[in-house]
Amino acid sequence: MNNTPCPVSGRFDPAAPPAIEAENLCKTFKGAPRAALDSVTLKIPRGVIFGMLGPNGAGKTTLLSILCGLLKPSSGRVRVDGKDITAQASSVKRLLGVVPQEPAIYPTLTARENLEYFGRMQGITGERLQARVRECLRLGELKEVENQRVEHFSGGFKRRLNLVIGLIHEPQILILDEPTVAIDPHSRFFIHQRLRELHAKGVSIVMSTHQMDEAEQLCHHIAIINQGKIVTQGTLEALLESQRSGSIQVQMEQPPPPSFQGVLQRIPGVLEAYLDERCFLVTTDDPAQTAAAVLDAVKLTGIPLVSLNFGTASLEQVFLSLTEHPLEQ
Amino acid sequence: MVDLLKKFVTSVAKESRIILRDRQAMILFFVMPVLFVLILSLALRDAFGDRPGATFPMLVVDQDGGEVGKTVVSAFASNPHFRVDRAGHPAPDQTALERSILDGRYRFVVIVPSGATGQAKRRVEEIASNIPPDLLKDPAVQVRMLADPTLRTDYRSIVGTALAGILRGEEMRLSGAQIRKNLRAMGYALELPADLTRSRIFAEVLDEPLQGGRLHAIPSAVQQNAPAWTLLAMFFLTVPLSVSFIKEREQGSLSRLQTMSVPGWVVLGGKTTPYFVINQIQMVSILLVSVYVLPLLGGDRLDPGHAPLALALLGAAASLAAIGFGIAVAMYSRTAEQAASFSSATVMIMAAMGGILVPKAVMPPLMQHLATLSPLAWGLDGFLDVFVRGGGVPEVLPEALGLLAFSLLCHGVAILRYHNRL
Repeated sequence: MNNTPCPVSGRFDPAAPPAIEAENLCKTFKGAPRAALDSVTLKIPRGVIFGMLGPNGAGKTTLLSILCGLLKPSSGRVRVDGKDITAQASSVKRLLGVVPQEPAIYPTLTARENLEYFGRMQGITGERLQARVRECLRLGELKEVENQRVEHFSGGFKRRLNLVIGLIHEPQILILDEPTVAIDPHSRFFIHQRLRELHAKGVSIVMSTHQMDEAEQLCHHIAIINQGKIVTQGTLEALLESQRSGSIQVQMEQPPPPSFQGVLQRIPGVLEAYLDERCFLVTTDDPAQTAAAVLDAVKLTGIPLVSLNFGTASLEQVFLSLTEHPLEQ
Repeated sequence: MVDLLKKFVTSVAKESRIILRDRQAMILFFVMPVLFVLILSLALRDAFGDRPGATFPMLVVDQDGGEVGKTVVSAFASNPHFRVDRAGHPAPDQTALERSILDGRYRFVVIVPSGATGQAKRRVEEIASNIPPDLLKDPAVQVRMLADPTLRTDYRSIVGTALAGILRGEEMRLSGAQIRKNLRAMGYALELPADLTRSRIFAEVLDEPLQGGRLHAIPSAVQQNAPAWTLLAMFFLTVPLSVSFIKEREQGSLSRLQTMSVPGWVVLGGKTTPYFVINQIQMVSILLVSVYVLPLLGGDRLDPGHAPLALALLGAAASLAAIGFGIAVAMYSRTAEQAASFSSATVMIMAAMGGILVPKAVMPPLMQHLATLSPLAWGLDGFLDVFVRGGGVPEVLPEALGLLAFSLLCHGVAILRYHNRL
């Protein structure tokens, strides 16, 4: 599996208008205790894979829904390829391909019928439609099941079809909401490969995810959203660089008691401490000195140590330090 | 515009394909309403008034064999509402007569006792001789009537009154003959007619049902059931329509369409047009079955009237009203279960109120007024205008416009909600 982020596409042009630009987006749902989005300003460059990270309920889906025209913001504006999403909705929609989190397909239609239907609804007809359907079936490796009803598909096949329906009209910008959530590793790898291919062809990709490894593998640009606000955004390298404090990751044979987190946080030099079952992670400015104190603390619990690693900040650590929120599995 | 029309046609084709692949829904849409009309029109054939050609099977046990027995038999036989059989000799006993009613062969049995004519004549003679009533030798002649216990009380009462009328006529005829005989014996040579009842003093009552008077228009079973079940089937389509709409929303395909350059009317129209076509097929199939199949099974034939345009107008208006209602329910429901239970309950209430389950004509005046609140009642009144009152387009126009207004209102609130969700 490729663990390095995709290079920026050859069609990346810093001088061109951003693929998507959002200014001061606010969205408040009726009866909600707080705003779903609070003054979100975002710039998504062309030709990149842009990852939107955030814990559940952070506002990722709301933001994506506004970016693809499904929701109207309470205030603020969105431009897609320099065009206002409200005033020029029709031409903006042609540029966008949207891949919802759950497969948005008709279960009693076949894969081909689904593709033909959504293709026609995108205004594609005749030979071009047939060519696009063939291409999407090839991209999704769905040729063998093209005439089977989707209701008989496995979850992974449904995800593939869901993805290629978003590509039927060859969009310039593809928006995906958690495209690999709850699928098997093969299907996940398959989707990652397709996204890399699309990116290589110059398609700008915006995807939400809460899987840090996925974001690190795929995304060149990242925005972290928490409680409706963008807490940071930039290239992956810049984000990691900004949080380059040392970290110590420890794995123990058994989970320590919950009070152990407090013990860790009281160690001099520890900036943050996160406890997750048998593992914990501390960030520090002085890894060598802190490590000795951490080992002493572990010894006091009486639980044998399995492993100890030093390292620079990972995206996961950046995420944790910025959102102060446990990661979803 | 051509592009939008193509998208609309694509949408209609997609929805039709989805519906056609649901076999259970097909049975529900087409077979069930037709079966209901057939079963209910046959079962309730005699329960509805004014059914042309309706006959009650009746047995007259003429143990008398004289003038009284013959008069009773001929009087009922001449009435088109009775099919009269005469019991042979020997006359069946009481148990056999009761069984003939309980097993459904006859609705009534009239028993004219043995010697009824002789007994009646003797009694008249004694009465004409001024013998006080308590000294009369012969008791009053007792004619008996057995009736089907499941028969409506008012029908039994009407037949009983008719029988009493026949016997009174016979009393009068016998009394006239006796008076003539007494006068002759007293030496009066009056030339009285042989039968005083031969010439009527009062003409037959002229029955003039008012045309167009709603309260008097009592439909036959098929005139009631065919349009009633057509309308109920049309409105029941709101259940699958609203459920399908919500499922599409839950599956996300509706949201996906909203991210494309597809106007709301294409999405809504594409979804509802197949249901409109289904509604029209339902109406035509129910009408065809009522006209051609029901008579073959012993039911009454539906006279479709002479205004196919009026029927088409009503069918279209009722369908649009039902579809509008379905879309509105879908827009305001959170889950498919909520939409299904709400729409089916509401349609049943509108049907009960609107004279679909119980004919409006048999409702008390207050309920008849309340019925006007139900769109199903408007539709039914429109169909009855054509089937019962011989109306055409001008007569059904108020009902059709009412249904169209209801449809517009429902579509309006649905579209408002659709845009507010964005």
